[in-house]
Amino acid sequence: MKEINKIYEHYFDLIDSYFGSIKNYLEDNKYSHIDLGMAIADYPLVSDLMLDAINDLDRQIMKFWSENSSKALDSLRKQDSLKCVYSGDITPVLLEDFVKKSLLYIDTIVIPDPVLHLTIFKNQTTMDKKYYLKSLVRHVFNLWKLKDLMLADLEKNALVILPINLNVVNEYDKNIILSNACERFANYVSKIFRQGIDNEKDALAFLERFDDIKELFSAIKQTDLLPNIFKKFDTFEEFLESFIDTKVHFQMEGKTVGFEFGEYLLSQFIRVQEHKFFCEKVSGEPIYDYDLPYFFFSYEMGGLDMDASISNALQKEKFKWLGNVPLDALKILREENKLENMRSILRKGITDLKAKNDEDLLKTSEQLERNLKEAFDEQEKEIASLKREIAVIIKKEIPIEIMGYVVGFIPYLGDYISLLCVSRSIKNLLNQREELKQKIDDKKTDFINLLIKSYKGE
Amino acid sequence: MEFNFFNDAMKIYLDYISRQFKKNPNYKPHPLIRALTNAMDGIETAKEGENVRGISFEGTENNIYEPYMVIVQKTKGGIEIKKILNLKVKKEIPIDVMIMIFRLQIQLDKIDGETVSPQQLVDALNEVIPGNKFYALGDRWKEARDRFAKLLNEGKINLAPNDPKIEEFKRIDKNTPWENYSNGLRALIGPTILYGSDMNKKIVITTPTNARIEKYKVFDFVTEFMLRENVEYFRD
Repeated sequence: MKEINKIYEHYFDLIDSYFGSIKNYLEDNKYSHIDLGMAIADYPLVSDLMLDAINDLDRQIMKFWSENSSKALDSLRKQDSLKCVYSGDITPVLLEDFVKKSLLYIDTIVIPDPVLHLTIFKNQTTMDKKYYLKSLVRHVFNLWKLKDLMLADLEKNALVILPINLNVVNEYDKNIILSNACERFANYVSKIFRQGIDNEKDALAFLERFDDIKELFSAIKQTDLLPNIFKKFDTFEEFLESFIDTKVHFQMEGKTVGFEFGEYLLSQFIRVQEHKFFCEKVSGEPIYDYDLPYFFFSYEMGGLDMDASISNALQKEKFKWLGNVPLDALKILREENKLENMRSILRKGITDLKAKNDEDLLKTSEQLERNLKEAFDEQEKEIASLKREIAVIIKKEIPIEIMGYVVGFIPYLGDYISLLCVSRSIKNLLNQREELKQKIDDKKTDFINLLIKSYKGE
Repeated sequence: MEFNFFNDAMKIYLDYISRQFKKNPNYKPHPLIRALTNAMDGIETAKEGENVRGISFEGTENNIYEPYMVIVQKTKGGIEIKKILNLKVKKEIPIDVMIMIFRLQIQLDKIDGETVSPQQLVDALNEVIPGNKFYALGDRWKEARDRFAKLLNEGKINLAPNDPKIEEFKRIDKNTPWENYSNGLRALIGPTILYGSDMNKKIVITTPTNARIEKYKVFDFVTEFMLRENVEYFRD
């Protein structure tokens, strides 16, 4: 077993020792990890017992990563693969679907360890205990569902987790990350409000003045620099209200809407810098499962390159059907070394692209859709053509030859050909038919066909 | 989702114990679990349908604390825990109390050593027993003493006129340290700190600040307390 797989085996042993007692409640449906998180958090008395019992998880997970982080990182660095580092939520809402979409194109998905993230977050904030338990169970089991894939003995690991968190970064780098984020945040606020703002404190002080969402929205001057969701008042208001609502779980003092907006923006610029840092560390591309974090990263980087654009475009709602692809098929795709073929299908017409904004990403996703459609059509045409060839053999050639063979009559081959030759000829035809059938079977079980089935919801 | 309350609580706690053993092979689980382990030891040789008892307790040769008996039955499919009894109060332990005991053990495990301070005791009790009802008197004992004296003079303390505690109190010099008061007198004076207060507390722990309380005594206190007849009133 590879070193990195041994590390993850230990990781899951650790998780099992804390959450194994409730794993039997994880049902076989996509949202079961979310349901389980809610059910456990609402479980009278037992939720309190669970919270007490897992109280030292923060120290244990920190200990685990202090022993294994460098080994996992080294092993990943040595792996010559296309890696993408996830950022956005703690884990993607449906990690399984996210993985299915992403692994069509990339070799390795790197996910920040949700346990490390949540335990650190809990210690740094006044997070409501039940909210913590709900989140922990939800994200732990989101990952647990992918355990087999994580531990699969593949040449290149398909899914890995790493201790990606600002708090595990050394002080020197952390200061750089934070000061860059503050600078970029101040610069962004300055631009969108057309104000001469120099630093993050002034930016927050400026935003704090707004205690009305409408007033705040109207004060934004350069709307082309906003993510799509912020461009219309309705969606802006909806977003900001739901962001403020989440603070209920942290017993935080309410500030003005302007200040809250500022805090959100600042947190995004910090996340972007942190993400950039970890992408560089593993030589990976950034990947997201929703538009907002993607927007802030591409704003910072001035656009994403082809690989990152394709992997991010695959996360669009229109590819939801990829969630129907069986998880094992992803292993097969890798075991049969067909990932490169899949990549070339997806890349058609997207080379040298640099997605700078949401629209570019949309265009990329449209091209991907066309590429997949083309591959599906081609596949179906090939299968149809093979079927036609078989039909020809069955309907015409074989009956005639068999007839000739059986009655001893040799049609159009001449008297000099012996029955033995005829027999051989028939055998060849039968073999040919079997080969064609095998080709169809291969086509039917190959990855493109699995995609077609998933697309059609079969 | 249909939960199994007893099984889930037991499994979570047993997982906790097994993690503690990994960290410290000398870890000593709560007597309830030790009693269960003792019962399980005997189950192998038992016949189907037969009950096996396991007993365990804390304390010294002369003072027994937390005596528990667990009765398990060998069934066709496995093992069924039939009863968990606290032999001191001679009552079965309801599941909610069992969970509180487990939680209390976890809270106390966080504190090094075999004893706890009164404040640590109160913190653990407030953590485990709903309602945040416990209060450590600590250094406010002088305040409680003076208030008690005032209430006594005003006839607001409901005691029989010849109750020996009144005499005992009157005899005590003002400079007497709190630890030299008898337990009974401390228990009488302490709760007056709540008199007229808006603190939503119901029990005052009057143990002197520098005293140490054996952990196993805490469990006895909680078990007896939670199994009292009027506990429902306290739970509200």
